[in-house]
Amino acid sequence: MDHFIQAANFAKIAPYAKLFWQGMAVTVLMSLFTVVIGFVLALLLSTMRLSKAYPLGFLGTDKEGKLRDGGFLLALSRFNPLSFLATAYVEILRSTPVIVQVFIIYYGVFGALVDLPKFTFLGFIKFERFFPGVVALGMNSGAYLCEIMRSGIQSIDGGQTEAARSLGMTQFQNMRFIILPQAIKNILPAIANEFVVIIKESAITYTIGVQDIMSAVNAVRGATFIIIEPLLVATAIYFCLCFPTSKLIAYFERRMSRGDKR
Amino acid sequence: MATNDKLIQVTDLKKYYNKGAIKALDGVSADFNRGDVAVIIGPSGSGKSTFLRSLNLMEEPTGGSIVFDGVDITKKKVKNADGKLVKLDIDKHRQKMGMVFQHFNLFPHKTIMENMTLAPVQVKKMPFAEAEEKAAALLKRVGLDDRANAYPIQLSGGQKQRIAIVRALMMEPEVMLFDEPTSALDPEMVGEVLDVMKELAHEGMTMIVVTHEMGFAREVGNRVLFMADGRLLEENTPEEIFAHPRHPRLQDFLSKVL
Repeated sequence: MDHFIQAANFAKIAPYAKLFWQGMAVTVLMSLFTVVIGFVLALLLSTMRLSKAYPLGFLGTDKEGKLRDGGFLLALSRFNPLSFLATAYVEILRSTPVIVQVFIIYYGVFGALVDLPKFTFLGFIKFERFFPGVVALGMNSGAYLCEIMRSGIQSIDGGQTEAARSLGMTQFQNMRFIILPQAIKNILPAIANEFVVIIKESAITYTIGVQDIMSAVNAVRGATFIIIEPLLVATAIYFCLCFPTSKLIAYFERRMSRGDKR
Repeated sequence: MATNDKLIQVTDLKKYYNKGAIKALDGVSADFNRGDVAVIIGPSGSGKSTFLRSLNLMEEPTGGSIVFDGVDITKKKVKNADGKLVKLDIDKHRQKMGMVFQHFNLFPHKTIMENMTLAPVQVKKMPFAEAEEKAAALLKRVGLDDRANAYPIQLSGGQKQRIAIVRALMMEPEVMLFDEPTSALDPEMVGEVLDVMKELAHEGMTMIVVTHEMGFAREVGNRVLFMADGRLLEENTPEEIFAHPRHPRLQDFLSKVL
């Protein structure tokens, strides 16, 4: 039996180093775009989930303005469509595999419904594959980040809002200056985890032909019939991306917890 | 100190929960004049806090009206100067009503100075330097000028509550609402907070205080309101309330707390 790892094999795959560099650039770019899309989407979704808009609220009271005792109209009056939509979105995205979502976006949405222009940017990134991958991953992480943000906002004591509002702050100012800074500090570890998950999960987009790190591994295997060594290179690259990311966020976590210690 | 200039007129205030199964406030009417130091006493669950919190609409009342500075703030829409119906800006009215909470509710991620300057700068658009100067003066008054850059967690309970009081004063309110300001304090810290409140009362600040401190009610208040079961049962001067309580519920309550 061959040795598990052979130094000579590293020499053989060395000429393909450029593929790995490009793959790494694709993975990093894709993760960054995914984070941005996911974050914006999550802000929107969590705002929707926590909204208190009841368009049918008027059905809850009778002609004399008294609250109904129950029944269909009262139930309708408590229907919050924004919250319902956001919750449905989150639950569907969380309860289906990422690879299914990526395929549906790539083959379904961008394969049949929307025609993407075919071009290459930065010299090696195929837009028509990169873009659907980013959209799918962003939609997925948006659902997870939404739940993280919602729990973070709800974890802040109601007295904080009362104090802010009693000082005359608007609900927006309360969110901006009081609730979100505290909530984000509380959820930073969970967000860091989600960022790392995004970097790792982006590997799945090689199944739709995005030329990321995993695609480089496959290309090298096809050309040289070597598999373990390219995988080890990929492992090292992923680790070098993920580990500093979590450390960096841990640093911000420490900085933001100034008010916690005596 | 009290004038006959009505600042807050509360009429038939109601707050129901569970479609009226629980009546936290069951038709309370009371007027507060400028310069009043009104102390609300009563057993727990009597609706004192709900009443106080309704005054700046922290709780939305089920019925009744609260006229503050000539405006009924329980209405969603009010007439403006031109006689047009406009949306009531509750934030504007809340600026004029300072509130102090049982659990202080300082902002833990901001320093004492930031706690005090945030609202004036953001809400009233006061220049930061001016806010800082004002905050420094207030901190000096309550003897905490050396803690301006500390975070709330570095302070004792009594210090936190004194900060909470001056934080509310930064907005130059017309009335201060105190919701059991000493109930969460260690006994030895109650005095320092009550001293600040006394000083405020002597300066003529209109105050409505929910408290279990009968000594404060007797000494500082010019009116005492007794509430039980969501109703205002008796209202009088402190001397009368404590020397000649009329309602049997009040007599019973006083026999337990005095």
